[in-house]
Amino acid sequence: MGKLLLVLRLAMKDLRRNPAEAALLLMAIASAAATLSIALALRGVTDHPYATTRAATEGPDVIAAVQTNSSAALAGLTALKHAPGVTRSSGPYVLDFPTLVVNGHQDPVLVEGRDTTPATVDQPKVTAGTWVRNGGVVVERSLADLLDLKVGERITLGTSQGGYAPGQKVVGPTFEIVGIAVSAAVQPPAISTYAHPSGFPQPGLIWATRAASERLALAMGGPFGYTLNLDLASAPSAPSFVAAHQSGELSLISWQTMATKNGDIISIEQTILLTGSSLLALLALASVALLVGGRMEQQTRRVGLLKAVGASPGIVTGILLTEQLLLSVVAATLGLVIGRFAAPFLTNPGASLLGTPGAPSLDLSAIFLVFAAAIAVAVIATFVPAVRAARTSTVVALADSPRPPRRARLSITISSRLPVPLLLGVRLASRRRRRAALSAASVAVTVGALVAVLLFREHANALESESAGGLYRFSGPGDPLWERGMDVMLVFTIALVTLALVNAILATWATVQDTRRSAAIERALGASPEQSGSAMIVAQLISSIPGAVVGVPLGVALYSAVGRHSSTSLSVVGLVGVVVAALFTVALLAAIPASASARRPVAEALQSETI
Amino acid sequence: MTTDDLIVRARGLRRDYGRDESLVRAVDGVDLDVASGETVAVMGPSGCGKSTLLHLLGGLDRPSDGELWLYGHRIERSSERALARMRRKEVGFVFQAFHLMDELTARENIELPALLAGRSPRAARRRAFELLEQVGLQDRAGHLPSALSGGQRQRVAIARALANEPLLVLADEPTGNLDSVATLEVLRLLERLHDGGQTLVIVTHDERIAATADRLISMRDGCFIDETRLTGGSRGHLGELIGLDA
Amino acid sequence: MQQEVVLAMLAKEPSQGFQLRARLDEALGPLGEGLNAGHIYVTLGRLEKSGLVGLESPGGVGPTDRKIYYLTPVGQERVAEWLAEVSWPKPDLAEFHLKLVAATQGGLADPVAIIDSQRRELLRRLREAQRAAMEEPDRSDAALLLEGIVLRLQADLRWLETCERNWTDRRRNQ
Repeated sequence: MGKLLLVLRLAMKDLRRNPAEAALLLMAIASAAATLSIALALRGVTDHPYATTRAATEGPDVIAAVQTNSSAALAGLTALKHAPGVTRSSGPYVLDFPTLVVNGHQDPVLVEGRDTTPATVDQPKVTAGTWVRNGGVVVERSLADLLDLKVGERITLGTSQGGYAPGQKVVGPTFEIVGIAVSAAVQPPAISTYAHPSGFPQPGLIWATRAASERLALAMGGPFGYTLNLDLASAPSAPSFVAAHQSGELSLISWQTMATKNGDIISIEQTILLTGSSLLALLALASVALLVGGRMEQQTRRVGLLKAVGASPGIVTGILLTEQLLLSVVAATLGLVIGRFAAPFLTNPGASLLGTPGAPSLDLSAIFLVFAAAIAVAVIATFVPAVRAARTSTVVALADSPRPPRRARLSITISSRLPVPLLLGVRLASRRRRRAALSAASVAVTVGALVAVLLFREHANALESESAGGLYRFSGPGDPLWERGMDVMLVFTIALVTLALVNAILATWATVQDTRRSAAIERALGASPEQSGSAMIVAQLISSIPGAVVGVPLGVALYSAVGRHSSTSLSVVGLVGVVVAALFTVALLAAIPASASARRPVAEALQSETI
Repeated sequence: MTTDDLIVRARGLRRDYGRDESLVRAVDGVDLDVASGETVAVMGPSGCGKSTLLHLLGGLDRPSDGELWLYGHRIERSSERALARMRRKEVGFVFQAFHLMDELTARENIELPALLAGRSPRAARRRAFELLEQVGLQDRAGHLPSALSGGQRQRVAIARALANEPLLVLADEPTGNLDSVATLEVLRLLERLHDGGQTLVIVTHDERIAATADRLISMRDGCFIDETRLTGGSRGHLGELIGLDA
Repeated sequence: MQQEVVLAMLAKEPSQGFQLRARLDEALGPLGEGLNAGHIYVTLGRLEKSGLVGLESPGGVGPTDRKIYYLTPVGQERVAEWLAEVSWPKPDLAEFHLKLVAATQGGLADPVAIIDSQRRELLRRLREAQRAAMEEPDRSDAALLLEGIVLRLQADLRWLETCERNWTDRRRNQ
């Protein structure tokens, strides 16, 4: 027991001695843990909300609709009410497709005529205000969110002479918004079975009284179509029902498809987030490797000291492991907490559904997974230096540089021909090749991700300019699917860039540690502070430039794989911009510690080595 | 002796560490003149400030007070860049711990100051071979420091200090980490340098190293307390050293 | 000159005075320059009187250095004894130490000043011995002897340093 306490005490002491390092490692593991938790939190997150909404609104098993005026079609639709397997139904309801005018917006909208009394199947649940009445309409919640509509506002539903072209004067009756509601029967735009004559998809839904919808239909030369909600004896059989009755005029959709498609909104986010978190995980691994590598020398010396004082290998490993475990456990907890609070931001499951994601981050298997990952990192980070230190004889471990840099004859010869800053920089970079490779990989991953994001944004801009005016776009800005994707992308871009910065700082820090002695000697021999500082920048750039260059094709490949779009025209300026920005940041992050240490008198730096 | 003949001229040099109760005066008001070609040895117990003094003379550290001239240039307020230039062109330093680059061969280590001073790789290499010969390590040119003995490493370090033909060589306990055999090697080298007219300031514990000097200064608690001139006196008879004359 | 040294030098073979002199010179190198030639003969004379050395005249009366000296059996015994002895030249620091004490107690002089001048002298000697040692070929007899002298001087200098610190502190604390 006493030994355990001793180990704990020594571990805590060491962590306290280097708070900056501990903080860096914590940050690296925590951000990876956070992303992992968010990704896990998004698993099947909308199953619940959809189910909740369906239950609360008597959601239909099948929705059937026709998009013509003809009485024959209407008859066919109505006949479905008595089809085998159908237990209940509501409708058919009149559908209109007028233009909505409110707050300066002017856009097509779907209007469904309803009874003031509740229907047996699909009775939308009012979340604010009341249900339809004369002169009053109820707006579907996601539409209300999009247009920022509130109960009590007045809207106009009408037509214009020029059809649906924007900028036309719209005339029609005004209504008051008396309520806002949700329904499980609302089809998200991406899968909408309605094709608006103007080419726009169904953007949103407004419920009005039967009388109002019929008047609108009259003003527009007839209803747009009719819709019917059906409940089946066996809910699971909805897809086969749909298959059996689908025809040219009659379009049906099952509740399973609805659920999946609602989930789709989230799952596209999830794809993006999983990709993002894999990239982040790569970066986090690089961070850990960099940090471990940087601490290796210190750790080896500490191990040497402890061994010299008589500590058994067990105690030594125990101390290293305890430090890492402490950090990992704290980081994992931090990551989980961040994930828990960030997930709802991203998974507001479309305002069209009720309920928030049922606390999946408290899901035990997710928590277990995150902790397991963090502990695995701790073990690896301990194992490697411990094994190496154990194999090194104590004397060597205590020596001036327990891990002498590998000699690179070629770079030594080549560098002698270069001007001084490059000479020093090349030699510095070739001293620790593994670290240079890690830096390069980190830069490659970051640049790749940024390029992918850039391409995505360019795609967005292209779409924006393609569809002129109006508010709703198919899979573009304005489409909730799209907006959600962009939000997620923003979050993960921020996380990625943060982690990349952490990595760059780590790499520089580790290099500074490693080369403190050599840099001091070089300065004692007459290298000026500028030359010394530039050498550090050069060294970091040497490893980062290939990484940045490789990152570009990597990013293009990533975009094609994930984005499901063929790559649009690449803006060369944008790409060059990303590469230059990345390299500039690397140079800046190298310059700061470099110039700080370069200004310090040489004697200090040398002194600290001989202690 | 005018100021111009002096390689080193220091007046009232001070180096303080810490503050208030923890104030330590490592160097406390030192005056020193070193003429061209002189070898000056500074001896004293550990902690007396002799290493700090050497660091000040070599521009590796900045004095808290006082004036310091190197070959007529005032340096105590120089920028780090100017000090670096000085270390490149005018001063060579030899450390107790050698401080050779582990991944460079003996020759590459010696070349480094020349390369830093902007000489061509070929000229640097030529100079390195010259110096290797001077210190008697021609056949070890391609060896890494790990393959050299302590004495050999220090000789490489001395050769490195001479790479740019400095006006002044400063040696901080050059034999501190060496056994007696290696000490002799270094001793011989220092004598030869002295005979060749090199100006040397050596800080040492070892009376034998001190005995190679023209002047020996004793230092304690940051101050000079004694100075002995070892040359310029009448040469005694060696026979007096043994007591066989009864 | 220690009698036994001369005695032992004869052990190789009966020799003339100047041959002994040569052998000594070789063994002492530059340190032998101060050797007084006369002393050898004086010592030889004493040894002869004590019966440890015998004299052989190559016939007739002639100059002293023609005489050939040889070891008597008693002499040989003495040599063997001497070789087996482990007495070591005593470091005679007592005299210097007492010098300092007397100077202080009698108020005659500053002990630190005495120490300093002694140090100076020893340093000069060290310098000379060192230079001479470096001029000798490696591993010659003389080089070895000089190395020993250098090391002893170094040890004495260290002691003088300690003395100086000591006496300075004493003076300060008075």
